[in-house]
Amino acid sequence: MKPPEFVMNPQQFLETLYLVMKGINPAVGDMELYEFKYGMDTVFPNDDWASIRLSEPDKIENLVNSSSFYDKIQIKPMKGSKIKLDDEITFLTQMLFTGLVKGKYSTDWVKKHFFFDLRGFYFLHRTEYLTEEVKAHLGGKPFACFECKQKTFEHQQSVGYKEFKAANTEIDGLLINSIKKLISVKGIPIVVAIAGQTAAGKTEIVERLRMEVEKEGRTVTSIEMDNFLTARDHREANGIHSLGKKALHWELFLKCLEDITHGKKITTPRYDFIDGDSSHDLNGYLKPGFTPVEIDPADIIFIEGNFPFLIQEVAHLIGIKVVYLTDDAVRLQRKWKRDVDYRKKYDPNYFRNRFFKDQFPMAEKCYIPQLEVCDIFVDTTGAALWTTPEIARVLRD
Amino acid sequence: MTSLIHIKDPLQFSQILFDLMQKVNAGISEMELYEFRYALDEYAPENQDWSQIELKDIQQIENMITGRDFFDKIQIRKQVSGKIIFDDEIKKLTRMLFVGLVKGDYNLEWVKKWFYFDVRGFYFLVRTIYFTPEILAHFGGKPYKQFDPKQNRLEVFQGLGYKDFKECNRETDQALIKLLKSLVAVKGTPILITLAGPTAAGKTEIVSRLKEAFEQNKQKVTSIEMDSFLLDNDYRDDKGIKTLGKEAYHFDLFLECMDDIHHTKRVTIPSYEKSVSCYDENGKLKPGAHPIVLEPADIVFLEGNFPFHIPEVSHFIDIKIVYLTDDPIRLKRKWKRDLDYRKKYEFNYFRNRYFRTQFLRAEDTYRPLMQECDLVVDTTNAALWATPPLQRILSK
Repeated sequence: MKPPEFVMNPQQFLETLYLVMKGINPAVGDMELYEFKYGMDTVFPNDDWASIRLSEPDKIENLVNSSSFYDKIQIKPMKGSKIKLDDEITFLTQMLFTGLVKGKYSTDWVKKHFFFDLRGFYFLHRTEYLTEEVKAHLGGKPFACFECKQKTFEHQQSVGYKEFKAANTEIDGLLINSIKKLISVKGIPIVVAIAGQTAAGKTEIVERLRMEVEKEGRTVTSIEMDNFLTARDHREANGIHSLGKKALHWELFLKCLEDITHGKKITTPRYDFIDGDSSHDLNGYLKPGFTPVEIDPADIIFIEGNFPFLIQEVAHLIGIKVVYLTDDAVRLQRKWKRDVDYRKKYDPNYFRNRFFKDQFPMAEKCYIPQLEVCDIFVDTTGAALWTTPEIARVLRD
Repeated sequence: MTSLIHIKDPLQFSQILFDLMQKVNAGISEMELYEFRYALDEYAPENQDWSQIELKDIQQIENMITGRDFFDKIQIRKQVSGKIIFDDEIKKLTRMLFVGLVKGDYNLEWVKKWFYFDVRGFYFLVRTIYFTPEILAHFGGKPYKQFDPKQNRLEVFQGLGYKDFKECNRETDQALIKLLKSLVAVKGTPILITLAGPTAAGKTEIVSRLKEAFEQNKQKVTSIEMDSFLLDNDYRDDKGIKTLGKEAYHFDLFLECMDDIHHTKRVTIPSYEKSVSCYDENGKLKPGAHPIVLEPADIVFLEGNFPFHIPEVSHFIDIKIVYLTDDPIRLKRKWKRDLDYRKKYEFNYFRNRYFRTQFLRAEDTYRPLMQECDLVVDTTNAALWATPPLQRILSK
């Protein structure tokens, strides 16, 4: 049977969608209808909403769970002299809007597979980090759970660190105590690696851990993996994703790690995120006029980065492997405030495209593999701490 | 006074500045120090040595920011490597105020008197004085009605949506609606009411609520946006028309329309969409274009920033209102509305433009209008100001 013709006018479409979207993202309820319309105008189709052809839900699921979809996302597509939102991303949001209004896609289905970022006014795929394999590795259930206080962020468009920290008080407190206990059991010197996505809160938790162990009279230092990144231009020109050995001054990294675990002072490269340049050339030599980072030996060495124990060759040098994750929706809210508002680091469309493009492959290639080998997994959004059964036994003793 | 060592050490400098800035803008205390430092990076001088920043003395700064030359020179879309940059003069000013605060050359009270700090844009803007002694005198020296200024609670907000804004203005807006109902009852219909005010003051929203209120009284209401009469943006750019005076509009069409309204006739007004009018510069309808036709109404609201006080127009208008919201609050509204929701402006263009225009518009448009209007609604201070003649009408 031919489906009924879709004849809703733009105003009806807007009003219907506004109501439906309040059920998808509660923050939409904090907007006036006209404010919602302003957002809608930015994704208005070339013709009209009726022109948007809808894919079947299972096809969409296949699409957003395939790497090839993300590979095709352009992070700097241009319209005139300005970067625009990638066409595929725009179309996905248009399709979900239309499907929701027509009733083809249920709210529950959309919420299961996507989250809606209000500041960016677009849908993003919900990444699944806790796969069955990861769960099995971590004993099937969390070591401890607390109230999910990040839920209050649903009504916000961006999140600053103070409120983020306050929401994570309990889970962070448990992590700190767990690490302290593990250090006392395993002995020093020890390398503690904290892996986590951008804006998950790695740097801040490392800083707090540092203060806590220093209070116990231990010396502490930290190595930022990002400092080992090679120059951005080189990576971009050679299609090197910021994962894996190729993105790093790898030999230097390995040597530094070995030296510091043997109580030696090390000198690491310095990476400048603003201009995307490294203090070291591709042969690992310090470039004239650049200053490297000097790191003294210490009892506890924190390594912070996206993938400190992704590569097997370094895993044996790491005493405690932690994955510290925050859900994509909350990280995106943090990044709006931190990277766009405060640091003024990105063009908003470049930022929207890049976040959309990166989160899925990063989970697949970086975080899920590390979750499968980690000792502790901190899920700040779920306010849960997971450990391997062995670590759980140590912590319970 | 802070020692030179503190100024030379970027970490100490930023720590001291962070503490001070929390007193300038309570919104800063919502930031972690490292977030403050991220934002401060934009201003870091070469080698992070803040001591090299030269400070102007207070009198020089006051002279500079009270003259239009300074604002005229602000470049809103200067590009470097294809990107619009933050205007040098604005940047210098903020940097100078930062250093002056830390060194103790500029005290907090002085800074707060002359400037406000916008956290989202992370820059100082000049505080515009809307109520000059002449304007205060025009309104008999004190507000007609005064309520609790609830917008004070918005200080910590970095962006502001309409729901929060409306909530703060509840009493003032209700008082305005009540007052206008009384005035219309006294003056009779048809009546033309103009509502002028700076961008994001809340004009469109209050007109919409006024419309509803009168319609509940079974009165026919229509509203016209002055922007509908604008000439094509490209044409104005080509001709170097920068102000919103007669030359920016289809002025003859506008006068015709005013006359028709007064004779309770159906009126035809231009449509203006995406910076293009449906009429050409000679007032001729463009081929295939459709103007807007409005049926006669009892009450006509005309919203916009045209100088309604000029003699050719003034006699058509029965009640002239200026609807004001203070610059810091409007800026917060615009961050959310124009940048976050509409994605209308490039970030630096927006910072430059707001800094430049708030002073110039106040001088060219709002203060002259306030000097001549019947009623000023000051939403930020939750006050209604009515001229003595209007107050006398209302007392009846």
